[in-house]
Amino acid sequence: MTTPPHQPEPGSIRDRLSSPRPTDQASGPGDSRTSDVPESSFQNGDSAGDLAAHGRGHKQIHAAMAPEPVGLDRHAMLSDRDAKAAERKVASLFLLALLGVIGFVVTFFAVEQEFGKPWNTWFTPLLGTFMALALGGIGAGAVLWAKLLMVDEEAVQDRHDFGSSAEERAATSKALKQGLADTGLPRRKLLRNSLLLGAGSLALLPLPFVGFLGRFQNKERELATTGWEKGARLIRQNGTPVKLGDIQVGGVESVFPDVEEGTLRADSPALLIRMRPEELQLAGDKQEWAYQGHVVYSSICTHLGCPVKLYEQQTHNLFCPCHQSTFKADQGAKVIFGPAARPLPQLAISVDDEGYFIAEGDFSEPVGPSYWERG
Amino acid sequence: MNGQVVNKVSTRGRSRRRSRLSGIAVIMLALVAVGSLYTAVAAPSSAQESEPANQSMKVQEGRDLFLSGCSTCHGLNLAGGAGGPSLIGVGASSVIFQVESGRMPLAAGVQQAPRKDVRYTTEQIDALAAYIDSNGGGPSLPSGSLTDGDLQLGGALFRTNCASCHNFAGSGGALTYGKYAPELEQASARVIYTAMQSGPESMPRYGDNQLTVEEKKAITRYVRYITEAEDVGGAGLGRYGPLTEGLVAWVVGVVALVALTLWIGARA
Repeated sequence: MTTPPHQPEPGSIRDRLSSPRPTDQASGPGDSRTSDVPESSFQNGDSAGDLAAHGRGHKQIHAAMAPEPVGLDRHAMLSDRDAKAAERKVASLFLLALLGVIGFVVTFFAVEQEFGKPWNTWFTPLLGTFMALALGGIGAGAVLWAKLLMVDEEAVQDRHDFGSSAEERAATSKALKQGLADTGLPRRKLLRNSLLLGAGSLALLPLPFVGFLGRFQNKERELATTGWEKGARLIRQNGTPVKLGDIQVGGVESVFPDVEEGTLRADSPALLIRMRPEELQLAGDKQEWAYQGHVVYSSICTHLGCPVKLYEQQTHNLFCPCHQSTFKADQGAKVIFGPAARPLPQLAISVDDEGYFIAEGDFSEPVGPSYWERG
Repeated sequence: MNGQVVNKVSTRGRSRRRSRLSGIAVIMLALVAVGSLYTAVAAPSSAQESEPANQSMKVQEGRDLFLSGCSTCHGLNLAGGAGGPSLIGVGASSVIFQVESGRMPLAAGVQQAPRKDVRYTTEQIDALAAYIDSNGGGPSLPSGSLTDGDLQLGGALFRTNCASCHNFAGSGGALTYGKYAPELEQASARVIYTAMQSGPESMPRYGDNQLTVEEKKAITRYVRYITEAEDVGGAGLGRYGPLTEGLVAWVVGVVALVALTLWIGARA
């Protein structure tokens, strides 16, 4: 059913809803579901369209439960002249949307997108404005259309009863019990116990797969190794090697291993820092890993792997911008603040015959965040 | 006879005198020629000779400025003192950065010298720089324009070396314990260049072996370019990227949409 043809009808919505409607005839005696439920217990506002889809309406509205009617049926009260004016209002909004579309297209092609061009900075705002006009015009027009010209009515529909009827429940329960008795399981203990054993053992079936997963262990130690190897030169991002003396005291350089795709490997970026040799306070062997005040640390944060490249040359603080972990570059990159749990791994370096920095090997421990088998 | 003799003598004397006069004239001419030749050929060298004099005047002026404005902290002989570090060997670049960005003279002992209004003219700054440079040398500005480098190279180098602290758009960022990498919009080309050379405060130092003069000029040009570039698409929101943009989208945009929805719901 559709909304009834427009006919000016005086009176409130409640008056109109109380009157018998065509939908009521569709719900005949065959529809038994409503029967066990008091009509008042599932009352809910619903649209006329849904009413039509369900083919069910309500017969009676309980005054206490019915939603208060909001507003009058303006449409019914419109004179022909007012209706025409409303139509023009809506139509002008729709045409505004058309203008918006035209403006959008014209802006997109006409405005030059180049720095310095006079309209350049207006490009995106203009696109946004015109898009807002286009979408907003359609939206506002549709709202006004519904409010001014469409039939404004309220309807109430009862919700279904969700449970099955008592007879259905009893019948199902009976059928299930009968079925179990028919299998003979309650009487034949051997059958029952052997089935439990056989089916229960199925739980063990996935065990081999657990062992199979073990093959994916980090046996190659891929997480623990990087691109650095003994003799690999320290290169900049543009591929040029770093020579002793290139970096001044108080200077830093992002370095990568001079191996295949060394600058692309996510695990290898490191930071070469130069300070006065007497400022370096490294423990034990690690003193040997530095070279004349040059020290190299992995620049991958041991917390969550952000790049640690914010170096303060006066305090020797290395700062991670993600979670504010702070490492002391002059004291083996020990953590002095923040969530990182371990120092940044240090790379052992020296200088080759030609004066270029080389790595003495890979990092002695895995770089970056902790992981399960890191140990 | 006598008269003849006299006459002879006199004519001889006259001719001698004439020859003497012409000799003087020749010498004069030669002197003038040599003089003008000297002036013509040796003019540049004489101008160069006036440069050191100019320079020494500058150094003198710089020394006066230093003694009156800086020596309280940095010491009468540049050796540093209670408040300030020694300035021997820091070079002209350090002076230009610190004074031209308004950081020096320092207003108060703080964690990090803030950018302030500049207290000296460019000439005075150059004089101060000349004085500091005359005591131990150090890095100084190269000749030529500082902003004629390769823009694209500058961008690549900026993202590799500078963006980790100063943000990809030069908006600056936080460092440890209240220190910060300043935003670069207010930094002049001279300040940007000398900052890389001198490594002020927390900033690492980039020598000419690490970033060549051309590369530093490229970075300087790039920084001036991005900080002067217009914000396409309206407000730049501090140019902090997705953080502020997301904040505005959620706090302003979504709240406005919710309010609009509520308004529509209330009116329906």
